[in-house]
Amino acid sequence: MKIVTKYIAVLGMLVGLVSCQNNSSRNYQYMPNMYESVGYETYQESDVFTNGVEAQLPAEGTIPRGDFMPFEIENTNDGYLFAKENLKSPLDSTQVDYDKGGPLYAIYCGICHGNKGDGKGKLVEREKILGVPRYDDVGRAITTGSIYHVLYYGKNTMGSYANQLNEQERWQVVAYVEKLKADLEK
Amino acid sequence: MASHYEAPIRRPLITGEKSFHDVTVDVARPVEGKANKAWWIVFSIALVAFLWGIGCIIYTVTTGIGVWGLNKTVNWAWDITNFVWWVGIGHAGTLISAVLLLFRQKWRMAINRSAEAMTIFAVFQAGLFPIIHMGRPWLAYWVLPIPNQFGSLWVNFNSPLLWDVFAISTYLSVSLVFWWTGLLPDFAMLRDRAVRPFQKKIYALVSFGWSGRAKDWQRFEEVSLVLAGLATPLVLSVHTIVSFDFATSIVPGWHTTIFPPYFVAGAIFSGFAMVNTLLIIMRKVCNLEDYITVQHIELMNIVIMLTGSIVGVAYITELFIAWYSGVEYEQFAFLNRATGPYWWAYWCMMSFNVFSPQFMWFKKLRTSIMFSFFISIVVNIGMWFERFVIIVTSLHRDYLPSSWTMFSPTFVDIGIFIGTIGFFFVLFLLYSRTFPVIAQAEVKTILKSSGERYKRIRENGDSLSGTGADVRTSHIKITEEKAITPKSTEDTSKQLEELLKGIGTFDASSETVDDLKVISGVGPKMEEVLNGIGIFTYLQVSKMTKREYDLLDEITGSFPGRAERDDWSGQAKTLLNN
Repeated sequence: MKIVTKYIAVLGMLVGLVSCQNNSSRNYQYMPNMYESVGYETYQESDVFTNGVEAQLPAEGTIPRGDFMPFEIENTNDGYLFAKENLKSPLDSTQVDYDKGGPLYAIYCGICHGNKGDGKGKLVEREKILGVPRYDDVGRAITTGSIYHVLYYGKNTMGSYANQLNEQERWQVVAYVEKLKADLEK
Repeated sequence: MASHYEAPIRRPLITGEKSFHDVTVDVARPVEGKANKAWWIVFSIALVAFLWGIGCIIYTVTTGIGVWGLNKTVNWAWDITNFVWWVGIGHAGTLISAVLLLFRQKWRMAINRSAEAMTIFAVFQAGLFPIIHMGRPWLAYWVLPIPNQFGSLWVNFNSPLLWDVFAISTYLSVSLVFWWTGLLPDFAMLRDRAVRPFQKKIYALVSFGWSGRAKDWQRFEEVSLVLAGLATPLVLSVHTIVSFDFATSIVPGWHTTIFPPYFVAGAIFSGFAMVNTLLIIMRKVCNLEDYITVQHIELMNIVIMLTGSIVGVAYITELFIAWYSGVEYEQFAFLNRATGPYWWAYWCMMSFNVFSPQFMWFKKLRTSIMFSFFISIVVNIGMWFERFVIIVTSLHRDYLPSSWTMFSPTFVDIGIFIGTIGFFFVLFLLYSRTFPVIAQAEVKTILKSSGERYKRIRENGDSLSGTGADVRTSHIKITEEKAITPKSTEDTSKQLEELLKGIGTFDASSETVDDLKVISGVGPKMEEVLNGIGIFTYLQVSKMTKREYDLLDEITGSFPGRAERDDWSGQAKTLLNN
């Protein structure tokens, strides 16, 4: 009997200790000397700025150092048509790499457009969205420039993917979309 | 005991007419008595110093090491100075109890208990510094190789600071065990003497049920010897490891191969000085002059002299090697010690450590208690300076002159040091009132070989048999049992007549019966016997002389000379006069 009470006491203590941990909040820390950053972390909240975030927008019209130039065709129907006519890929044949473009396409585009570009992505199959066109849709007749313009600005219900992909990646995806289009038209 | 041979040249280690019981009583007296005013005053002072030290420690830990006087160049100063100083002091205790045990030095027995207590309390103080001088002491447990969640991140076993951790913790635990096993028979003695239930309970608890059987004693001796054999290399290695903190570095003035033995010698030197300081006070305060004799102090002074001379030789060796090495940095380090901005610390150290123990060559000085006390304090100051000089003067000016700087302590540095002194004395004062400060069980083993009384009997060529008897011990009660059967009246009637003629008869009609039990040495049974003979009054007893005592002995036939030794007639006379 005495031993049983001892076991119960030890068990109770263990349970008591373990129950101090709460999975819905942070665990207890022992002497968190350098746990909290003194400097500004990228996405942290900050009271210093009026909008409460550390990440602030750069000034309008500034150009950062490095391999970056602004996209100068406007986000209008005219811009779209201009791009469709005139915009060409800066990649030469050695730079086009479907091994890079393919996975990027699968990540960002395939979910709606389908991995084959036939407009039958997962979301379409599950009827979450409708009206995704095939790349070989004759009425649309997409070109290198129009693909890039749509990727950059979005069109109709499609949003911009300029945030997700950098310029190099966008052109790789464009090249891959053209390959899919050619495959569909075969 | 006739077969016992001890060279007559040996002086007695226990003076006074001490019996086994006297040893017990003398050792138990401070524990069983009440603390006097002086104790409370000294204890309060020590406690205040201790609390002040705690305040300084809390201030340091909560505010940061920057409150100390350290700087970027001198980043070890008072902290490690005090650490090494306290560790060094602790070494004498183990040396006395272990090394002197291996060398069969009987004189250690009166001092080993207090010396070991000193070790343990000094190691406590030393142990504080490695923790509190850390920048983040709450992570101190990282020095231990414990399996952990950092992918079992381990300690590096190449650092002498880690060896320090093992050395000090092992040293403390072994010393503690050694000390406590030695305490068992003495705690048992206090347990058996305790009259108040609380004391009885406490001493029963700490004495682990020691019953003093032959087998217990045999194992006790073996354990003591094994522990002494273990503690001796420990003493040498612990301070060696402490010296490695410096000797393994590349700092000129630190990087030396002489440090390990030199630090150990210094530790024994300062440790014995501290033992001397404490025991000179303790023998007076606790009335233990018969156990801690001038001879003990003299022998400790000789050890101080010897180790002081070893330290002196080490100083000279260091200086010679610095000159001989042809290394400018090394030569400058020693030039800087002697003539640099800390010249005063260097010369304090030199004069206190090298010159002061040399006075002990003079017998007049080393047998002088006052002088030993003075020198023992001087030595401890000198040894503090030794550590300070080694640490600070080597650091504040080394390879790059652009890094040369000075060091001066802040009040926090000093306050913590004072605090550890206070803490040490708090512990030591509490110890001296609750622990048997002399290993009475051990002292009793040398009582007959080295007690003054027994030595005298032996030197006179008399037999020691029966001399261990003490009127207050149980041995007498056994003989008293015999006293209740006096020889038949026929045999003793003549002596009875003689006896009563000498002291007068008792007349019940005109006199009253006195309580003879008041006389020391007369118990209820002896009173019965005396009444049976016809002795009822103090008057009769007071008339007893040598002749009557002898007659009484013949009549009662019990232990001879008892009445004479207790001076019954003298006692009775005092009773009559009052």
